[in-house]
Amino acid sequence: MTGEDLRPQILVRDVTKSFSGRVVVDVDELVLGDVPVEGLLGPNGAGKTTLMRLIMHSIPLDGGRVTLSRPGQRDVVLSATRTSQMAGLGVVKSTQVITDFEHLTILDSALLAVTEARYERPFAAAADRTVRKRHEDEIRHWLDYFGFDDPLAVALSGGDKKLLDIVRCLLLQPAVLLLDEPTAGLSEDHTERVKSAVRELAGKGTSVVIVEHDLDVIWDLCDEVIFMAEGKVLLKDNPATIRANPTVVESYLGAGSA
Amino acid sequence: MNLDWLDAFLIFGAFKVIEIMGLGLLVHLQLGLTRVANFGVVGFWGLGLYAFGVAYLKVDWPFGDVYQFLICAAIATIVAAAAGLVVGWLISDLDDDGTLVGTLGFATIVVILATTQQGLTGGALGLGGLGFPYDFGRVKTHEFTWLLITTAVVVLIFVYAWRVHRTPHGRLLIAVGANEALARSLGKSATAARLRMMMVTSGAMGLLGAMHGVMVRSLEINSLDVSVTLAALAALILGGTARVFGAVVGVLLTVALFDIVIQFYIPIPDGWNTQALPVAREAVFGAAIVLMLIFRPQGLLGQMRRPALMRRLHGDW
Repeated sequence: MTGEDLRPQILVRDVTKSFSGRVVVDVDELVLGDVPVEGLLGPNGAGKTTLMRLIMHSIPLDGGRVTLSRPGQRDVVLSATRTSQMAGLGVVKSTQVITDFEHLTILDSALLAVTEARYERPFAAAADRTVRKRHEDEIRHWLDYFGFDDPLAVALSGGDKKLLDIVRCLLLQPAVLLLDEPTAGLSEDHTERVKSAVRELAGKGTSVVIVEHDLDVIWDLCDEVIFMAEGKVLLKDNPATIRANPTVVESYLGAGSA
Repeated sequence: MNLDWLDAFLIFGAFKVIEIMGLGLLVHLQLGLTRVANFGVVGFWGLGLYAFGVAYLKVDWPFGDVYQFLICAAIATIVAAAAGLVVGWLISDLDDDGTLVGTLGFATIVVILATTQQGLTGGALGLGGLGFPYDFGRVKTHEFTWLLITTAVVVLIFVYAWRVHRTPHGRLLIAVGANEALARSLGKSATAARLRMMMVTSGAMGLLGAMHGVMVRSLEINSLDVSVTLAALAALILGGTARVFGAVVGVLLTVALFDIVIQFYIPIPDGWNTQALPVAREAVFGAAIVLMLIFRPQGLLGQMRRPALMRRLHGDW
């Protein structure tokens, strides 16, 4: 990496993963972070989500290596790093399935994301308000941006939980952000807001990778698209080229989609 | 201090209520917040009791009573906290069933060690000779004073548990208990959070064990039976595992009802106090757990009221 376009990158090399003897991911070499926003496309079962989970090391690799490369810093082997250390390294992933912390309010969730470990020890003297004071502006910004009217309530709807997941990710100020179907189930307005937030983040230097079945999001947002099928990376090119590729049209988009 | 109006057995009954309340509050932090199903409460409490007793009786301390108590109680707390750390680490990757069996196994080990290490513990015969760290003259005065001191300790435990709900530490424990994978994805070490919590709560259980040793002034193997765990869990489940006041309300409706109200204020036939009542107590506690889990698993006080608490803490948001 040289010049002004230096971005955090994730290097996936010889990574394989099988479940019950079936190979679901088999990637020889893939570099994520060449461009600000990349999309990961492919039919169901292509291995997109599994690849993301392998990058986050939330499931163990059968073989291969995943490395984080950040400008001016030493490379880190993510495949030898605990999941709980990923956020500290700047690698953050949203969840595909709608999920939340039972009982915790929206503000709780946001505060949890930003609280430093030293404030979370059993006898830490700092009160909750100290943490709030340190991070209030950024929390308020993102909660207002996504239209959370009552942050002191628990997120009840699937859409609110999905947005809250994205807010938590944004509050972590990631170097690399992996978004797994971030707009699934969201309204058009909220989808546009997510897209704007991603553009803003990418504009500030974050490398964003999106798995999304809403193809308009991919075509609008991504600078480059990676097409996967049966665990392998088949294509990596700009959206227009991918969209016109006969293999993609035949196996994923369907005739007439271009 | 003239305590002629006070029955000595009533002091001991009140002590048991306070003691179980303290244990219930600690189990609230483990089970109610962090979802660690500790069925080995008596193990940590008993380890504290025996560590205190052995340190008190087997070491020739060059100090007076107060310092001897403080040092031995500190030893009990540290030993129980270390056990909490080890057990917490061993069960860190286990599911709820594994945690339950693992902690139960730990309590069994403590009982077996207390029984078999006769040179240290006195085995099944036990050891006498523990004493109060003060001398005011009458035994009843000593016991009443110890009840007050133990109450002060349990009040501190209550304040700690109450405060945990209001700190980032408490939020982390709730998050880890509710959704460990999501907490990890936010950079939280669920294992470290659980280990710290286990260390603190187990240490406090050990301290309560040491305080029990002073009150009964002996090490008795019979004190390490399942009734300690059962009483703490029954009270908490009845009151509500997720609420700080759950343990308080639950203990008042279980241990206080049996060990104070029924024993002292309900006319029951002679002999029931020593034979039928303790057995009935265990049966009722067990039935209370089963019935609550079936009909009102959230307990009498209900679910955690996090939004209400957050409105009090951050109402100006």
